[in-house]
Amino acid sequence: MTEVTVARRRTTSAVLIYLIVLMSFQIFLVTVADQAFMTASKSLAWATAAVSVVLAFLAALCLRFLRH
Amino acid sequence: MTQDSGSADDPLHTEAEPIWKRDFPYEAAEEEEVTRREFARYLTLGIGAMAAGSVGLAAWTQLRTINTGEPRPVVALHRVAIGETFLFDYPTPQDPAVLLRLDDTRVVGFSQKCTHLGCVVYFEPEESRWHCPCHEGNFDGSSGEVLSGPPTSPLGKIELEVRDGTIWALGREV
Repeated sequence: MTEVTVARRRTTSAVLIYLIVLMSFQIFLVTVADQAFMTASKSLAWATAAVSVVLAFLAALCLRFLRH
Repeated sequence: MTQDSGSADDPLHTEAEPIWKRDFPYEAAEEEEVTRREFARYLTLGIGAMAAGSVGLAAWTQLRTINTGEPRPVVALHRVAIGETFLFDYPTPQDPAVLLRLDDTRVVGFSQKCTHLGCVVYFEPEESRWHCPCHEGNFDGSSGEVLSGPPTSPLGKIELEVRDGTIWALGREV
């Protein structure tokens, strides 16, 4: 296995770990959104949605980084 | 690591078909291995779907209308002793509610759902408070404000009025 291949594998693994962390945070946000819905807390629901969308963009950026 | 050291003697074994496949000839619909890049793509898709779900939930929270209920009689005042509670449904049969008679003329009503996770609260007369047994949440008996525990918002209040000896529910406060 060449050094370049090893480096790529490490990068892929690092990005994967980052994505898994993002996914965990996203799952937490879904529970917060559910709580906001149950308590009719509009401001909390929108704040949660905004953070959730930012996380999705970050994840998409990671995936794009992987393709290069 | 070789899968079969005796494969050279086995005419049925080939490189394309490992020996375990011959022994267990079952195939799943998607049997191919998932690469890390594919897994990363699935994760990203999942994160995107959850973000879309959060936005949808926020929109639903914003747009939904809360049924505050129509005025209707609940129970005759004389049937509820001072310091006692009476269970009823308001504004719909799916919304458990409870009222507490404070004195001769004053009654207070609340949704029976705890504002933490929706468990049913009950009145503790010795402490003069509403208690949620699920996570030890406590609310003030007459105002419904949070006293202790995990809830952060007060019990949903139902406006009550005594008319000609009958307790009426007028609507749920939002």
